[in-house]
Amino acid sequence: MRVPLSWLRDYVDIQQTPEQLAERLTLLGMEVQGLEQWGADWRSVVVGELLTVEKHPRADRLHLTTVNIGSGEPLHIVCGANNIAPGQRVPVALPGAVLPGDRRIERTEKMGIASEGMLCSGDELHITSDAEGILILPPETTLGVQLSDLYGDVVLDVDVKPNRGDALCLIGLAREVAAATGATVRWPDIAVREGDDPVSAHLRVEVREPELCTRFVGRWISGVKIGPSPDRIQMRLQAAGMRPVSNVVDASNYVMLELGKPTHTFNGAAVRDGTIIVRRATPGESLETLDHVQRELTPDTLIIADPHGPIGIAGVMGGADSEIADDTTDIAIESAIFDPVSIRRTGHRYALRSEASLRFEKGQEFQLARIAADRVAQLTLAWSGGVCARGRIDTAPDEPAAARLAFRPARVRKLSGAEVSAPEQRDLLRRVGVETEENGASVQIQVAVAPQPLRVDAGEEEVLVAVVPTWRRDLAIEADVAEEVARVRGYETTPAHLPDTLMPAYRPSPLAVRNMLRSTLAGAGLSEVVTHALVAPESEPRLRWPSDDDLTGVETPESGSLITVTNPLSSQHSVMRRHLAASLIDVLALNERQGRGDVAIFEVGKGYGRVDGRSREWTRLGILLSGNAQPPSWNRADRQYDLDDAKGIVELLAKRLGLPAPVYRADDRGFPFHPGRALVATSIADHEAVVGRVAELHPDVLEQRDLRSQRVIVAELAIRGLDAGVPARVHVEPIPRFPEVERDLAVVVGEAVDAATVSATISRNAGELLRGLRLFDLYRGAPLAASEKSLAYRLVFGARARTLTEAEVDEAVARVQAGLKSELGANLRS
Amino acid sequence: MDFETLSGDLHRLRDRALEEIATSSDPAALEALQIQYLGKKGDLTAVLRGIGALPPEDRPRVGAVANEVGEAVKAALATRGAELHGQVQARRLASEAVDVTLPGRTVGRGTLHPIPETVEAIAEVFGQFGFVVYEGPEVEDDLTNFQMLNIAPDHPARDLWDTLYVDIPGYLLRTHTSPGQIRVMQSTRPPIRALLPGRCFRYEAVDASHGFEFFQVEGLMVDEGTSMADLKGLLDEFAHALFGPRKTRFRPGYYPFTEPSVAFDVQCVVCGGAGCPACSRTGWMTILGAGMVHPVVLQYGGIDPEKYQGFAFGMGVERIANLRHAVPDLRYYLENDLRFLEQFR
Ligand SMILES: [Zn+2]
Repeated sequence: MRVPLSWLRDYVDIQQTPEQLAERLTLLGMEVQGLEQWGADWRSVVVGELLTVEKHPRADRLHLTTVNIGSGEPLHIVCGANNIAPGQRVPVALPGAVLPGDRRIERTEKMGIASEGMLCSGDELHITSDAEGILILPPETTLGVQLSDLYGDVVLDVDVKPNRGDALCLIGLAREVAAATGATVRWPDIAVREGDDPVSAHLRVEVREPELCTRFVGRWISGVKIGPSPDRIQMRLQAAGMRPVSNVVDASNYVMLELGKPTHTFNGAAVRDGTIIVRRATPGESLETLDHVQRELTPDTLIIADPHGPIGIAGVMGGADSEIADDTTDIAIESAIFDPVSIRRTGHRYALRSEASLRFEKGQEFQLARIAADRVAQLTLAWSGGVCARGRIDTAPDEPAAARLAFRPARVRKLSGAEVSAPEQRDLLRRVGVETEENGASVQIQVAVAPQPLRVDAGEEEVLVAVVPTWRRDLAIEADVAEEVARVRGYETTPAHLPDTLMPAYRPSPLAVRNMLRSTLAGAGLSEVVTHALVAPESEPRLRWPSDDDLTGVETPESGSLITVTNPLSSQHSVMRRHLAASLIDVLALNERQGRGDVAIFEVGKGYGRVDGRSREWTRLGILLSGNAQPPSWNRADRQYDLDDAKGIVELLAKRLGLPAPVYRADDRGFPFHPGRALVATSIADHEAVVGRVAELHPDVLEQRDLRSQRVIVAELAIRGLDAGVPARVHVEPIPRFPEVERDLAVVVGEAVDAATVSATISRNAGELLRGLRLFDLYRGAPLAASEKSLAYRLVFGARARTLTEAEVDEAVARVQAGLKSELGANLRS
Repeated sequence: MDFETLSGDLHRLRDRALEEIATSSDPAALEALQIQYLGKKGDLTAVLRGIGALPPEDRPRVGAVANEVGEAVKAALATRGAELHGQVQARRLASEAVDVTLPGRTVGRGTLHPIPETVEAIAEVFGQFGFVVYEGPEVEDDLTNFQMLNIAPDHPARDLWDTLYVDIPGYLLRTHTSPGQIRVMQSTRPPIRALLPGRCFRYEAVDASHGFEFFQVEGLMVDEGTSMADLKGLLDEFAHALFGPRKTRFRPGYYPFTEPSVAFDVQCVVCGGAGCPACSRTGWMTILGAGMVHPVVLQYGGIDPEKYQGFAFGMGVERIANLRHAVPDLRYYLENDLRFLEQFR
């Protein structure tokens, strides 16, 4: 809320500088987010007196003027306005002045005659809304004074929190200033000079929804003359960020800013039969609102109507037909209390949220309906003339007494942790208008209200009763009183100490496995990325990353349909991703655009899906490798990333998790994978598992995404423990005490036989003496046939408790050789 | 053959050997000399073959001379051998000299992303004070995200959280990590000290200081006497750990799920409190919001608000990371330009 300091001073004395005041208010919870020098645009705009005003010889619509600005020769200024006459005092923008909207004033020539500046309208200065005529200043205004010195102000931008609707006005903030400084709040004198005929002769009000409109106060004024508000009022409204409209409308807006109570004035002639009905809209009804939009009204909309139809949407916006117009003579003033929830829903329904509806939504002090009706009437009479009918229409004249809220001073101390005595608590509360009473008898304490009201017996504890001012609708439970005490005392005085209460039981961190794998991958040369969970809807269908259907051992398989955001900010981020691959490809694309093709990245991120009307989330590890594994360097040959690098990483992760070496199974589905370079990796033990896909992307994917990279390797792995888990414990094998025996074996097989099959055959036939098996060479070419390859393995044999004999080893190797021959048709070279 | 002749031969042999040893130029030649003079079929052996022709009384004398000659040759061989070895090694080392100012061979170039790293830094500090990590779902139900946090469907405070809704009735993308408070309270009993990091979402246009996806860390502590003073004490330690020693303060804040609510400010990390554009000339920077858990929230968590009380706090991970690393633009984090990420190596 914008608060012009000069206006605020009407209600409370302020000794502090604006900066000091801002700090005090901020520490009291009314955060001042900015201090604006209002009128800073008016430098080089000075007060001048018109000496002469003559017709321009060559243009009927222009005048030649001479202006005395208090010093030097009179200035010659050409002016197009018609409201000027000699003797008037007017604002003069001198050459070099810069007006609002960055408008520069220079010495110019208009139709052959030089002009040494410009006479300004209120609109040009953003002081009033009058763009027709020059702003005529009071005759006593000193000549030559800068306008910024005359009308400049400091405007505080206060962030009023949603629970403090009572402070969304000048009186409310004056109360806060008073609480901070000890000053006293001055209310305006509100009194209405009434005529003889009763209001009931002009206006009847029927509230058909007393739940939604708990009070309606109406007043009637006849014979107003519509015109602009006094300049001083227009300036205030402008500074507060509200555009002046006309004297009657401005009176309503002024009262909203002053008291925080929105009101509405209807053109009396448009209230047919002089009858206002507050009711819900009926199906098929529509209304053209003030913004000239024809709106279909839904039946749950609370409206203001006359016997012939709607004339306004209650609390949100009036109807165009009942708008105050230049020829309006009679007005009806509505000052009502509406149900906050109903107003809020209506505002959302029609996407219409106004300064008025924002205040209604936060709830309104009941008394304000009466006070504001009087205040609007008073200001309207002062600014627009007319006669106010005697009395008010009031549908609920009984005003509630102040609520009483019992609290335990000891409990206030216990919450705040500060030693605040009961007398000090009472003093602090008094500063925000909360009187307190001692309470002899034991009394119930309100610990919580809806939805689970909780009242407890205070027992023997000391209890005080706070008398809550009617405007403080936010004080409802004991903790609210504690907050008020702490707030006024100053949160900056809160003592600090470390907790000395019981510690919770041990709980393993769900981040443990994730962090172990993250640091492993970073150590292996990959950079961690964090990408958006919200992706474009075409992202997954375009990539066609396979589902988890053919994976076994995945704890939380990817599943369900895409979750879609129903109110997305942009179509690029409107669905929740199920896989990480597309996001990683996006990162590659971005870095390629920056000229960076060597990309080795990983992300530990979530996938999201909808299953049976519920959402599911799972955590995966995504890896992407592209470009140089080793960048070219003077001391090392460069090398491109390939599938083996990704498999090496999977093997490393399996080791870190204490899992057996992963088993690889070819996946020849083709797009989005290279049909000959894609696989499923599986490594499962009792409690841990790494399962997922490792593949080089199909060239069509690279083309589709306009990637320059020749080969892009992507992996997505489901790893048990990524969501929450404990890193695997290592079980130590005793170091062999007896020598091990190594044998090398070259196995020649057809191309169709894959390495996994060969090594599985070796392991199966070797028996329990085989302790290690490692592929150390892969050979193709002469003397082998074109369709053959040779795989060279080193087999390590050993036994825990004895030295093996040559014969034992020979026998095992022979079994292996026989198995390879009979099962795979292998030839053996040595 | 007499003693004089034989010892003369031995001395000549010695002189010749010493001469040749001294002038030999490589270890192989030296090796050959050793064999030539001291080998089983070497010159010294050959000379001593004449010893049998001497009278018995002269034999020991010749033996002594032969010994002396043999030792002299051995010593010369050893000396020259050491010399030659030194020369060879020196030549090799000289030839192997490199420009030691050349850069080394790069090892690894992986980095960890500042968001999870900052979460780790935060968890590390609170972990020392007994706070354990929990995680909650990101696709959250309206009840837990709002209503159980004392934000009814038509509460005006809902405007504080511009929400992204999803096509599952009753669900939304969590707007903060605070629903985790409810989930923790429902799953465990006091004493509670919990930390809840995670991704959050809001309907917010992207610019240098806003994004529709961001990360928060929530903290929750509930016990019989947990007070604002405990909160202040812990947050002071936290600010000290992450930003070094500096002044801190509470000022009033507003959250529907805490009562009282505070904002926690630290002395500006840029200007140290003197006032600068980064702190809007106030000298203070707000790093998180906090407060005492509202009784209604405790009730929804199944905890008796008359018996227990506690505090909660919530901070933006990006905000903390920005201040720690002087990151100028929030968009850096989810964009993943390696020129940004690799600065964290
Ligand atoms: Zn600063």
